[in-house]
Amino acid sequence: MTWSEFSFERYRRYLPAAAIFIVAVAASAYLSEVSLTDLRRGILKGLSLLTLFFPPDWSACKDMLQPALVTLVICLVATPIGAAFSIVFGLAAARNIAPEWLRLTARTVIAVERGLPEIVILLVLVAAFGLGPFAGVMALAIGSIGMLGKLLADAIEEIDPRVLDAVAAVGATPWQVIRHAVLPEVLPALVANSIFRFEVNVRASVLLGAVGAGGIGYELDAAINQLEYSRATMAVLMILLLVFLSERASDWVRSKVL
Amino acid sequence: MLEVKGLSKRLPTGKTILNDISFRVDKGEFVALLGASGAGKSMTMRAIAGLTSVTAGEVVFSGESGKCYTTITASGKTSGKDLRRARRNIGVIFQGSNLVKRLPVLDNVMIGRLGRIHPLRSWLYGFTDQEASEAMAALERVGMAGFASRRTGSLSGGEVQRVAIARAIFQRPLLYLADEPVSSLDPKNAEAIMQLMQPLAREHPILGAFHQPGMVMHYCTRVIALHKGSIIYNGAPNLSAKQLDEIYCGQADRPEATQELTAAAES
Ligand SMILES: Nc1ncnc2c1ncn2[C@@H]1O[C@H](COP(=O)(O)OP(=O)(O)O)[C@@H](O)[C@H]1O
Ligand SMILES: [Mg+2]
Repeated sequence: MTWSEFSFERYRRYLPAAAIFIVAVAASAYLSEVSLTDLRRGILKGLSLLTLFFPPDWSACKDMLQPALVTLVICLVATPIGAAFSIVFGLAAARNIAPEWLRLTARTVIAVERGLPEIVILLVLVAAFGLGPFAGVMALAIGSIGMLGKLLADAIEEIDPRVLDAVAAVGATPWQVIRHAVLPEVLPALVANSIFRFEVNVRASVLLGAVGAGGIGYELDAAINQLEYSRATMAVLMILLLVFLSERASDWVRSKVL
Repeated sequence: MLEVKGLSKRLPTGKTILNDISFRVDKGEFVALLGASGAGKSMTMRAIAGLTSVTAGEVVFSGESGKCYTTITASGKTSGKDLRRARRNIGVIFQGSNLVKRLPVLDNVMIGRLGRIHPLRSWLYGFTDQEASEAMAALERVGMAGFASRRTGSLSGGEVQRVAIARAIFQRPLLYLADEPVSSLDPKNAEAIMQLMQPLAREHPILGAFHQPGMVMHYCTRVIALHKGSIIYNGAPNLSAKQLDEIYCGQADRPEATQELTAAAES
């Protein structure tokens, strides 16, 4: 390649796209009323508020322990339930296991579920079951099925078909093939994905808590609403600790399974 | 005894993959399928195991008891229970062996019995002590007893092939199909696998695909040569260089070449 080739000419075809991008950003800034003065005012207000958040209200620490535990338990219960159901959806959505009609149905359900934010699921469930951890558990479990089911189905579709043929060739039933070839090949991946999902769920449960699932997210929301900012800081610290610990734990477990 | 009658497979595109394949394999035989890549060796064996559909033909086999099994009937592919009942009597050793890599070696051997035990029992992994010790004996026979608890994915090519043979032995079939069991192995390991299979064939016949005419001549009792889906030779394993040329160089396209080969085999 000569230098003359390595020039602006090569990037010329990106010009229209770049122009459209810039116009779009400018237009949306205008439409959403972004203004630099507002930005400055917001930052200053935020900074002045920030002083109210410090120092944290250490005495609130023991009030936070129980809600943090509730959040943790919600995730510890919800994730395995979601993982268990994702096996059903994963199998139903895999091309090399399920008949076409079942596969399409399962893939559609998974896609719809993945399209719905947990918070929407929670709001529906709260309407049905009322406020509280139970609705939170259900929302997170359902929310986990989509991601875990899709990853599982993809993993199953990647299994070498000859391995499955070889097990079928000894006279095994389709269910035996699933039990003795499909599941052993994909379960470690499912466990690893579930643990990752557990981390995601810990974060999500904070938000869900504020909406009505209880736990530490609710404490944070309540503290801010009552203008007890240093208490809110304590809740944030607790959340950070929770997220940090769940990350450490999941890294540790993952290193054991894979 | 295995009897393959008029097996044909044509694709919807019109391409012929198997063309009127008929042959027998009798007790005590170790039959080698020879032929260039794409000749239809794998397809023939997949058809015998009922793993692929065919356009026409029939596959029947039976053991000492005289009870007959079939994977492909004249009316088409058998299905469900009958197919599984037939399959559990065929020990298939696949090309590249295709074991479940994440399972321990012993579990892979146990898979050989799935067709014979109640599905519910196998779901709970309820293999009996008797079955476990038989599986160990099968591993012993192929020299892999020390590997029983190893993860299958961590084995070498030769070791994997031995485990696949142990699985087939543990299956207690009436015949064995072996698709290129030694192709991926170095000469020493290939020789060792052939030495394992030779005595097995005396118990239950083996039909195997090979690419090593030298070894085939030494270990096998008969050769069936395929070319573009047709049988072009069915006879003694000691082939001349000229015959091998015809099997592998595609000159057998001409019908007279087929006659030449067969005549050479008969003389
Ligand atoms: N799934 C398939 N679909 C279409 N053609 C196939 C398929 N599998 C094999 N074939 C064709 O069938 C022919 C025989 O293949 P195969 O039995 O694998 O040959 P061999 O084992 O002798 O090398 C080849 O021409 C191959 O291209
Ligand atoms: Mg082949």
